[in-house]
Amino acid sequence: MKRPKLLNSKNIAILVVLAIAIVLPLFLRTNQYVLFLATTVLLYAVLASAWNIIGGMAGQLDLGAAAYVGLGAFTTGTLLIRFNLTPWVGMFIGALLAMGIATLIGIPLFGFKVKEVWYALSSSALVEVFRAIFMMWNKVGGPTERYLPFSAEGPRSWYLMRFNTYVPYFYIMLALLVVVFIINHRIRYSKLGYSLLALGEDEDAVEVLGVDSRLCKLKALMIYSFVAGLVGGVYGCIYGYLHPSFFSTDMSLEVVILGIVGGMGVTYGPLLAAIFLVSFREYLRASLSGMFPGKGLEGLYLMVYALILIVVALFQPRGIAPLIKRGFLKLKSFVGVK
Amino acid sequence: MSTKVLKVLFVVVMVGMMVLSACGPAPTPQVVEKQVEVTRIVEGQVQVVTATPEPVQKAELPKEIVVGVVQPLTGWATVFGQEGVIGAEMAIKHINDAGGIKSLGGLKLRMEVEDAGDKPDTAKLATESMINKHHPVAILGMYISRFVMAASEVTDREKVILIADALVPQVTQMGRQYLFRPGPTAWDHGALAYKFVREVAADNGVELKNMAVLNEDSANGRANTLGATEAALMDQFPVITALEYPYDITDATQIVQQLKAANPDVIIHTPYFNDAIVFGKAFKEVGYWPKFLMGAGACGYVDPASIEALGETAEGLAMTFSYNPAKNTPTNKKFVEEYVAKYGVIPTEGAGMNYYGAWVLAEALEKSGQMFPDDPLKPENLRAAFMALDLTSGPAVESYPSDHIKFDALGDNEYPGVIVLQVQNGKPVVVYPKEVAEAKPIFPNPHYKP
Repeated sequence: MKRPKLLNSKNIAILVVLAIAIVLPLFLRTNQYVLFLATTVLLYAVLASAWNIIGGMAGQLDLGAAAYVGLGAFTTGTLLIRFNLTPWVGMFIGALLAMGIATLIGIPLFGFKVKEVWYALSSSALVEVFRAIFMMWNKVGGPTERYLPFSAEGPRSWYLMRFNTYVPYFYIMLALLVVVFIINHRIRYSKLGYSLLALGEDEDAVEVLGVDSRLCKLKALMIYSFVAGLVGGVYGCIYGYLHPSFFSTDMSLEVVILGIVGGMGVTYGPLLAAIFLVSFREYLRASLSGMFPGKGLEGLYLMVYALILIVVALFQPRGIAPLIKRGFLKLKSFVGVK
Repeated sequence: MSTKVLKVLFVVVMVGMMVLSACGPAPTPQVVEKQVEVTRIVEGQVQVVTATPEPVQKAELPKEIVVGVVQPLTGWATVFGQEGVIGAEMAIKHINDAGGIKSLGGLKLRMEVEDAGDKPDTAKLATESMINKHHPVAILGMYISRFVMAASEVTDREKVILIADALVPQVTQMGRQYLFRPGPTAWDHGALAYKFVREVAADNGVELKNMAVLNEDSANGRANTLGATEAALMDQFPVITALEYPYDITDATQIVQQLKAANPDVIIHTPYFNDAIVFGKAFKEVGYWPKFLMGAGACGYVDPASIEALGETAEGLAMTFSYNPAKNTPTNKKFVEEYVAKYGVIPTEGAGMNYYGAWVLAEALEKSGQMFPDDPLKPENLRAAFMALDLTSGPAVESYPSDHIKFDALGDNEYPGVIVLQVQNGKPVVVYPKEVAEAKPIFPNPHYKP
């Protein structure tokens, strides 16, 4: 399959969305809440898009995103607190460390052909293991939060990657999302991508054809963990503290849900899922949680959110991306564009 | 357009947008005060003259004053958050029933509630959401210290007063300008727990040789323990064991076995809620009780929900609290009676702290109306009113454990009050300080066997 040109009608639509995203903060500068929400949407979109490489393409149900996010956050934050190293550098060191750990774990896991539910369990356990390690490792983690230094404005604020507004974080996440999109696009139409897609369908058949499935999966895991580590570095700066609760199985699960609901293997699927689900969950939380104060109905929004996920799983098992694609094709034929 | 050009263009646009974003919001114009001193040079001489600028335009007051309540209403800390909402709701009702804020023409308060969730991240998001949607003049909450620390970054940026009901000393040590804590610190709790045990032991003629400290491993647990340990060290009283555990512990028998082996006369324990129940059951299961098991930090053991969960085991357990349900004043009696009538139990920490927290806000609003009649709700003015508060009477003091509320430069009350509740006949009763006690403390613990 030939790699499609970068400037086709689909990518022009993506560029339009990107242009809107770029100018969005100019209109929302004073609305920090919406900016924070938009940044969170992008953060999860980056993670889910990176997961798309290992989960969507290679078909590995990886539940370890938060382990790499946590490693990135702790490395970046600790380098800042201890050695005053700017997070702009620290986040790459964190990402490399996350990738290194992922490689060390990936080699035996893929070497022993741990896959499907066993791979999911192993990667999920990784998050808990790191949480326990960092909870006990008092020199770096420990049960008490470590707060990152803060400067409201000026060059120091940029050096610390700690801002009084979410606008810079929004652009950092947007830039990361574009990079992950390009990586996804490149891989999708490379030998590695074809191998990953094929082994996601039938690993044994792919091996018969002479593809080193272990190496392919390892490469996918390394790219995914590197991106998650980068996100972790920024994540720590956004929230301004470090705590072992960053190694959260909830976060890992959320990433996987977004990847699946978006549409496995579809590049823009996780972004769509993040936009819909993260915003919708926050909308439900913000509107329902305080509606009945003291009536014990504060968790109602979680029930509604769960119901929506069930409905999507039942009626749109291939994710929401195909639905959007159909709509996009109809729009194209309506406008008359080939 | 080639792919390369497109990529370069994209990078340039992205970098440009990031630089633009760093410029920050446009500076807001400074409001001119009533009189200003102007330095000018007249015939080579520097002169300072007083000038009266254009009269300041009186700010229009809203129809109601919005008070945000952000509390953990889902997740592990729900039990505290729900109480907090109820306390704030009842206080706001009482404030409005009493005529609202008189210096602001009887303006009424309106409560808006948001769920802070179970993590600092969610607390921060909820605070952003609350400020964006409802524009409150002040926010009450969020009980868990690390939630307050994360959210106070937002409230300070937006210049919204945050009245915190969290105990960790560091909460007010982060340089926040709009954060006030009427209640005591965890350090105060720990120190009082120690003082109470020593005094009551002496009163009952029981000799105490040493103690152990035990706490959940968050900043709250550590701060309480630090307060107790420092007080003991000042007395040269031996602390023979110090143990920590995660607050989501599910089995405490091993730790209780360790305590049994150390066999201290007293254990000062700082739990949250679920872990207090886990430990209470573990002490019973192991069959070990020290001469006194003293709680610090105003969470489990003595609150109605813990008593219900622990049953007979709760008898004799004691805990320090930042609110005195037995304070015999008209405001407090009204609050407790209504609370009991509605919920069947007495209000404890979360409800009490938010009740007097809301009253402190009402007093500050009242003061701001007197000090700054032109713009009483301007954040800087309201903050100045908080700093100027020196309350020795009125509803806020009537529901506060001590008889004085005055904020220091950090935003802490200079006169914090802590009391001790003990479970007696299945009900929590105030046993310390002696001058406000409802009953004499039971000492040693009724389960203790020499």
